[in-house]
Amino acid sequence: MFDSHLTRRNFMKTSASVAATFAASQMGPFSRPAYAARDKELNILCWEGYNSAQVLDPFRSSKSANVKAESLTNDPTMINRLRAGEINVWDLINVNNPWARKIMMPEKLIKPLDRAKFEPYFDKMLPQFKPPYKWAMDDSGKELLGMAQRFGPYSFVVNTDKISRKTAEDQGWDLFNDPKLAGRFGILESDDWNVFGICAIAGFDPYKPHSAEEVAKFEETAKRVLKNKKVVGDIATMNQALVSGEIDCHLTGGSYSVSPARADGHLNLRAITPNKGPFAGGKGGIAWIEITSVVNNPVSSPLAEQFLEYVQDPAVAHTVAFAEGTFNPVAQMGNPECFKLFSKEQLEAIQWDSLDEEMARSVEYDIVPDYDKLLDIWNAAKKT
Amino acid sequence: MSGDSSFLAQPGRRAAIPIMVLLLLGFVAPLLAVVGFSFMPPRTFGLWHEPSLENYERIFSDNTYVSLLWSLGLASLTVVLLALICYPVAYGLVRVFGRWSTALTLLFTIPLIVSENIRLYGWVLFFIKGGVLPGTLKALFGVEMGDFLFTPAAVLFGMVYVYLPFMLFPMTLGIAMVPNQMREAARDLGATRWQVFREVELPLSTPGLMIGSLLTFVLAVGAIAEAKVLGGQRIIPITHDIEIAFTYAQNWPLGAALAVLLMLVVSVLVLTVLKRFDLDQILGKR
Repeated sequence: MFDSHLTRRNFMKTSASVAATFAASQMGPFSRPAYAARDKELNILCWEGYNSAQVLDPFRSSKSANVKAESLTNDPTMINRLRAGEINVWDLINVNNPWARKIMMPEKLIKPLDRAKFEPYFDKMLPQFKPPYKWAMDDSGKELLGMAQRFGPYSFVVNTDKISRKTAEDQGWDLFNDPKLAGRFGILESDDWNVFGICAIAGFDPYKPHSAEEVAKFEETAKRVLKNKKVVGDIATMNQALVSGEIDCHLTGGSYSVSPARADGHLNLRAITPNKGPFAGGKGGIAWIEITSVVNNPVSSPLAEQFLEYVQDPAVAHTVAFAEGTFNPVAQMGNPECFKLFSKEQLEAIQWDSLDEEMARSVEYDIVPDYDKLLDIWNAAKKT
Repeated sequence: MSGDSSFLAQPGRRAAIPIMVLLLLGFVAPLLAVVGFSFMPPRTFGLWHEPSLENYERIFSDNTYVSLLWSLGLASLTVVLLALICYPVAYGLVRVFGRWSTALTLLFTIPLIVSENIRLYGWVLFFIKGGVLPGTLKALFGVEMGDFLFTPAAVLFGMVYVYLPFMLFPMTLGIAMVPNQMREAARDLGATRWQVFREVELPLSTPGLMIGSLLTFVLAVGAIAEAKVLGGQRIIPITHDIEIAFTYAQNWPLGAALAVLLMLVVSVLVLTVLKRFDLDQILGKR
């Protein structure tokens, strides 16, 4: 049952402290199979896409590994599952950009990557990801906290047959203040993002502390927008409602949500990034970048880092971009070997034509200081 | 102590210990955890904080009652509508349709094999603008169908559709339990068709109606998909409130308090009904 290379004698030699020795002696013979078992086991907590068979099956077969992936659709839930004790369960966590740097690393929920090994991958990514990439680094700029891959602008989506791209970009978030739009728009069921959207419609930056007046304005705007909406639903419902003509646009959305409909030929549906808005620097939209980090699991799997390397491969990165569910640009498109795998239709689906300008007009997703308060107001407003 | 030893003296009881432990761990422990969480401070993730009534205070001070009323109201309406719809169908299955009954029963059963969400999305395609119904009405008759999808009426429709088998089959059993001789005796004694129904068939088939109603109510009060998919979240049932608390809001204690509240309200309602209509007595067990 014991690993033949790891005898008590040589383990003692390499032990750094008495505490480690004590811990090892406590583990006993039953701990050894657990370590061995983790060599062929990987658990991934992620947004949809990384849990698809297209992405996981080749890795499973090449490593003869048991890879489990659970997909969730909001970051706070994933973070809180680690906080609630599931740090012992997961090996990789894939969430949006601010969480690794601002929350997970300070709370020791994740652990740093080997910079020498992983930073060269950033060199091959699109220019904005060149190392040291801010969201992949800790505050000190010394530790590499995760790898970037999928990203995209995420503000709102319109049917350009009903509302032109220019009108939507010029009018921006004010579109949803227009009484003429009552009963003609939907709201994507993505409440953390809807908090950002309502702040923007109310005319202020979500990513800063808010005054009592701003909170009151948020409440009034939330109630008004919810009263005027036609439907709240998931991505499939929003795209179906746009295609059928039930709605002309929907709040919270981007290439991430509309790309499946665009890939299906509905190129009149388009993610919009407003030309200007209430965000820092007068920017009009919000963009997200996923960072995938190694969880600080006490019995970590060596496959975690191997998986992070695996998804850097141009072909796998292309599969990740077009895995089931949603289609998204990936940072690895900076590598010509990866970019050439994207067909014209796929580039159209992810709005490659305007991606650079839309990212330039967007601020990066951040943590709302008074999120709990604003979310409670938003949820209460749903019932009025 | 002597009571305990005599309790365990019986081999059957000793043999039941493993399954009792399993049931306690599987059913009671999670419920206790939910109850425990409901007394934890808001937005905490452990069971070892100082207990607090804050979550319950919040439930009664904000507009959560709206969600609870929607759930209870829609579940009650669903039960009433299903009772009215299912009784004639069940009667037909037992007394009228003869050999077609099996085929009809299969037609009512087969949809249960398909996931509820998929069936509801099917109805979205049926009712959506340009969908099967509005598209056909427009193409054939030039009639524009008014808004139905994403309304509370669509939610009620979805609930009636989804929970129909849960009312129909107990009711069918209830009607099948009515002995033919009773009906014939009533007719022989001069009762009209209405009198036979009102005074013989309905009272004797009450167990089926009662079990169907209770089952449907308990399931319907926990419904969530109908309001999300067909209702477009125009209304928020209490179950959706619980889901929001456990996901986006990450307020497990509030979600747990809402779940405890729902369990209490449903238990009180069901126990009150069971007290009024003693199932054992109806079923003739005593």
